[in-house]
Amino acid sequence: MITGEAYVASLHDGRAVWLDGKKVPDVTTDPLLRKSIDWVASTYDRYAGAENPMFGIPRTQAELREQIELLLASDRTAATTAGVMALTSLGYDALDAYAATVRERDIRVAAAVDDTAKPVHVEAERDGGVVLSGGKHHVLGAAVVHELLVVAGDVACAVPLNAGGVRVIAHTPAPRADDDRHFPYSRSHTISEAIVVFDDVFVPAERVFRDAAAFPDTLTVWERARAVADQADRAELILGLAQTISEMNGIETVSHVRDKLSAIAVYSKMCRAGWESALANAQVNEGGMVLPDDSYLYATKAYGGHLYSEMTHYLHDVAGGAVITAPTIADLDNPEIGDYLRKYMRTMEGVSGEDRTRIFHIIRDLFADTYGGWDKVTNQVVGGGMHHQRMAALDSYDLGPVKARARAAAGIG
Amino acid sequence: MPMMTGEQYRASLLDGRKCYLDGELIKDPADHPLLKTSVDSVAGTYDRFYDPAPDAFHPMYTIPRSREDMDRRIEALGKSDITAGTTAACMALVEVAPELGKLRPEYRERIYEFFEWCKEKDVRCSEAITDAKGHRKKRPLQQDDPDAYVRVVDRQRDGIVIRGAKLHITGAPLVHEQVVLPTKSMKPGEEDYAVACSVPSNAEGLKIVNTTNAPRGGDDLRHFPISYRTNMPEGLLVFDDVFVPNERVFLDGEVSHAASLAHALGLWERSNAVAYSGSSADRLVGLAALLAEMNGAADRTDIRDLLSDLAIYATMCRAGWEAAMANATTNEDGTLSPASLYISASKFYNAELHGKMIDILHDIAGTLLVEAPTMADYDNEEIGPDIREHLAGDSGWSAQDRLKLLHYVRDLTADTYGGWIAVTESLAGGGQYAQRLVTLRHFDLNNAKDLARRAVGLEAQ
Repeated sequence: MITGEAYVASLHDGRAVWLDGKKVPDVTTDPLLRKSIDWVASTYDRYAGAENPMFGIPRTQAELREQIELLLASDRTAATTAGVMALTSLGYDALDAYAATVRERDIRVAAAVDDTAKPVHVEAERDGGVVLSGGKHHVLGAAVVHELLVVAGDVACAVPLNAGGVRVIAHTPAPRADDDRHFPYSRSHTISEAIVVFDDVFVPAERVFRDAAAFPDTLTVWERARAVADQADRAELILGLAQTISEMNGIETVSHVRDKLSAIAVYSKMCRAGWESALANAQVNEGGMVLPDDSYLYATKAYGGHLYSEMTHYLHDVAGGAVITAPTIADLDNPEIGDYLRKYMRTMEGVSGEDRTRIFHIIRDLFADTYGGWDKVTNQVVGGGMHHQRMAALDSYDLGPVKARARAAAGIG
Repeated sequence: MPMMTGEQYRASLLDGRKCYLDGELIKDPADHPLLKTSVDSVAGTYDRFYDPAPDAFHPMYTIPRSREDMDRRIEALGKSDITAGTTAACMALVEVAPELGKLRPEYRERIYEFFEWCKEKDVRCSEAITDAKGHRKKRPLQQDDPDAYVRVVDRQRDGIVIRGAKLHITGAPLVHEQVVLPTKSMKPGEEDYAVACSVPSNAEGLKIVNTTNAPRGGDDLRHFPISYRTNMPEGLLVFDDVFVPNERVFLDGEVSHAASLAHALGLWERSNAVAYSGSSADRLVGLAALLAEMNGAADRTDIRDLLSDLAIYATMCRAGWEAAMANATTNEDGTLSPASLYISASKFYNAELHGKMIDILHDIAGTLLVEAPTMADYDNEEIGPDIREHLAGDSGWSAQDRLKLLHYVRDLTADTYGGWIAVTESLAGGGQYAQRLVTLRHFDLNNAKDLARRAVGLEAQ
């Protein structure tokens, strides 16, 4: 398994990436993309010298929990790479060889599933391989992974980022401040996304997988599961921040504040309950892979998304205006004003002005700034938005037993 | 004295004020990359309303005495930057002038003199109300730091000396006067905290530490179609023993009236918010409808449901303002005030559902909202053609128009400025709980109970 440093070096492969209207000659030296690269590199370093467990397939509930813990502790490209591994459970021999390569080379793969207005399609067949043309958007990590698994109708292709004809139009929610210390989360936890254009990209035969219409569902299974697990973690963080800042403000016992805290507590427990139920009712697919139950995943995602804005609204409310007006770390460092700021941001014995300022920074970064907006929107609209999430919850619900219960209650047999 | 031009306004900021941003002292706000556009927007207001006539003044200095006055005022403020709104709110001091005059006649005179001075000099003011507050449940004298609320630390023959801090002061580094008011009611014993006054931005001992919602780090401002021109800094004012001459002191020690000034300004601040909430909500409806058309989804039943939610919201926001004006009252000096009941109820309603309405826009927009290429990408010779091809759908929208719409909605709802809006919508002019309290205070509960008693068949009380 390679080190973070080796991973960074591996990105010097001639890939064609653009950001903010300019071609990026070296993604590793671009200050904004570098934040994503550093995050991925940190996951590499954690497993350097040993096989990253994401390359395994969970076959018990305990292993499923371990897999999710691992994905939550890793950068976002781990979930899509693990998705490639999940595909091997579908019984495609051709994929096994490719997955083995991914594991041996310890590379990262992004899922290219959602089409642009010009869908990716097989333009021509040549030498047993195919020529791809079209575009994919919402490709998480495209600029910083090694390969893309592109799904085009019933064909899937593994395409290296530096393949001729691949153009990556990247975007990132990473903070753009020169001194980004007041963006405590996003300064080290953003992954750039991209529109990827395939301009007559040749894919050799061994990287083309036929009969792949069912791929997207399994390829993205860990992203889907990770999102619901992360939603439960995030809900607990919202409650933790709301309670902490209430205590720092001295209002944690005020009745209307307790009302809001209790609403977040209920939300947090329900998000956790939904996720735990998805795990407790885990399913085993035909390849023996254990995965969370879809009906609980969809319902929990829909529930969490529906109330998310209300919860962040409560968090803003108990925290107060300093969410958006707290001074920066650089302000605290300035000898002319630093002591004044520590004095006036402080509230009582045991609550330092600097600690309280840092709590405001994390609330702003996650729930009222660029990263917060990106995170909220991508979580809410993934899978087609809230309406489609609700429909997925309905479609995956086993309606037979509930109809039978209704008929029995009405006495109509 | 004639009104100021934008250029004169820019020059007026070079008065030795001590303003900081990102840990650095700002030499000239008009030349600072993160403050320049804010200064430009204020200067733009100056130029837009400039009139060389010697007695001309900005319409915000017209004290509304009728619905027509109010409509003109709202229209003028709608064409102005935020500092005109904060200045207009400060002018609401005149609303409480008669009441304060009963305490000490000079308070009333000073307020009117200050009003006339601001009008004549064509200056901008901030509303410096929120204190550092320390432990929120403790009174000022119970705090372990007596400066948690701004207080008078010395009284001299010709003025007072104040110490403390004021937070979340919109436009603070860009205005001329910081109008300091108590943040809440005070009790006997807390006389030093019952202080209202106006402090020039360059006063000795005043430091202004700022944050801003201006776009950072991008030299292509087309990516931020709203915030690159409407951004505004928020200041934390530190008063380190600042001397205030008597003629700028509007309250000193009269605890019984500490809250009435903040209430008067709060009503105006909330009123401004409610007055524009209808048109702001209309804009959300329009943006949602355009997003639906852009995505070819305008006829879908679920999308029409969402649009109707937005339309109801916009209509109720407008209704709140109409009701507040239909039930407006006038004080003994003839100043018109919108009805507090409808203002606070509308403000609460508007803020409470705002997040849900934004959810609707996001749902209709889809993931491209936060990952759309920039306009610079669009202009790039190598990838511009890709973007034109891959973003133009079959709904007749060009890629360029799609990008413009998506960037506008992202900037407004899902980026730095959007976060600022979300927080200020619910907290400016008092938080949601304050709106509940004011609504309940002004609601005729006895009448409601009588109605209920009659309906149930109980005797009226």
